[in-house]
Amino acid sequence: MTADVPDGAAADDAVPAAPDPDEAPDPDEAQRAIEYCYEQGWSDGLPLVPVSTPLLDRFLATTDKDPDEIIGSLEQVGRDVDVRTAAINAAMAGCKPEYFPVVLAAFDALMRERAARGGGFQSTSGPAPLIVVNGPIRQELGFNTAGGAFGPGFRPNMTIPRAVGLIVRNAFGIHPHVLEQATQGVPGRWSICVAENEEESPWEPFAENGGVTGGVSAVSATLTRTMEFVDNRHTPNHEDVLRDFQDTIGRIGSLIFPQTSVALVLCPEHAQMFAAAGMSKADVQNWLIERSGRTGREFRVMGKESVATKTFHGPFEGDDAFHAILSGPKQIPVIVAGAKNAAISMVVRIFGEWSGTAVPVVEKK
Amino acid sequence: MPNAILDPTGSVKSKAAKAAAPRAHRPASLKGARVGLLINTKQNARPFLEEVGRLLEEKYDVTLTKRTKVNFAVPEPDEVIKELVADNDVVITGVGDCGSCSAAAAADGVVLEAAGVPVAAIITDSFIPTADAMAALRGAPGYKYATTAHPVAVLTEDKVKERAAQVLDDVVGLLTDQGNGGA
Repeated sequence: MTADVPDGAAADDAVPAAPDPDEAPDPDEAQRAIEYCYEQGWSDGLPLVPVSTPLLDRFLATTDKDPDEIIGSLEQVGRDVDVRTAAINAAMAGCKPEYFPVVLAAFDALMRERAARGGGFQSTSGPAPLIVVNGPIRQELGFNTAGGAFGPGFRPNMTIPRAVGLIVRNAFGIHPHVLEQATQGVPGRWSICVAENEEESPWEPFAENGGVTGGVSAVSATLTRTMEFVDNRHTPNHEDVLRDFQDTIGRIGSLIFPQTSVALVLCPEHAQMFAAAGMSKADVQNWLIERSGRTGREFRVMGKESVATKTFHGPFEGDDAFHAILSGPKQIPVIVAGAKNAAISMVVRIFGEWSGTAVPVVEKK
Repeated sequence: MPNAILDPTGSVKSKAAKAAAPRAHRPASLKGARVGLLINTKQNARPFLEEVGRLLEEKYDVTLTKRTKVNFAVPEPDEVIKELVADNDVVITGVGDCGSCSAAAAADGVVLEAAGVPVAAIITDSFIPTADAMAALRGAPGYKYATTAHPVAVLTEDKVKERAAQVLDDVVGLLTDQGNGGA
């Protein structure tokens, strides 16, 4: 047989021995079970892992939470989700049982965000959860913390956001074309989970900005409308690079309200360049807060006078007024992710606002 | 006996889920009625509803009250519903022209109807499936509302007025026991 690696997390393992045909599971039975799941309307389009009670029990055994505990509500659709239902969806998504505390933390973090509770899952924007993982859990569960930070190739990074997507679909009952009204949606929706590259970041872990300190494993989450790369490996001048970010942040097509929020997912090379110039995260944020925006004229010629206003529904500030689009550090959180092999970073467009709150991962005592 | 495949949809319904929501009793006419405009803040929603209101003032001598939704994306909180019920004989809400706000318009309609106030929710025709799904979730399958062609947000002032005039008969039909407008 060929030396196929089943998933990226096993990339360092030895080539597995050829399976014993007598020990191998029955593929015909597996296919019938997968088709059964499709027929029930449970799938996001990809095959699901059919879940039985023994598998569910292994998930429930990873947490001290009561299986009946309600962990999220979507008032407008009249649906709650409990721990048991979340576990079934996590198992269906392909998570390992030991991922479940991270799924719970990710879902908790996301549901703390007003944008997620307030109709984000139904929105024409079709926003995707962005999940950020910090702390030792990254190594313990085999998250990708290096190159290809936005995936694919690594089981926890891919299956944990998928679990959140399946919870929204199945437990909240939000299906495409019905309660989900995305016009085009975000490519890779339900698959965006970044484990911060803390090892090559010059700054404190992102979870610390969200209130979880001391190297405790934690998850933060928001909704994003898309992301745009800034490829700048062209200059040793860090302010030139910041201006390149400023230009992308100010792209008018992505602006619909007077204020916006973006997350900077900086590659280690950009982050280290800024740090070497003596900049803290706050310095990078403040530099961009001060300068990100466009003149009223630039908004007007694109028909967006209603964006270049001081307040929501306020009057147009005029052609010559500079309209700043970031009002403070909360509007531009900074995360470090990816490989240190090129100066390529991402400007992530936040759907609404992101509180940035980090939720600790709580494993069974 | 193999293990059963477990259902991931859960069986937990929150308190917002309703078994069956009754439709409010309709007046015979809007003559002299107190009409509440519940404006959802989406672009052109205000001029659209205000024009509908103006036409009703002209034709039926109604009294208008206006308020904006607390959050266009979700149904109104209980205290706002109570005030709307106290202050109005009928309510017009809209314009539902997005995923969450069209569903929320239908949800507000169902809740107000159950509290005894006839409602004409106006949504754009792109969002019929989501408004229907939300009404069914709220215990009012087949809930009737008025539609106007999508989009509304980019219309000029004159076009908004035209649209308001076009939807007027459906709105009156929905709010009174005359005809079955908006069905």
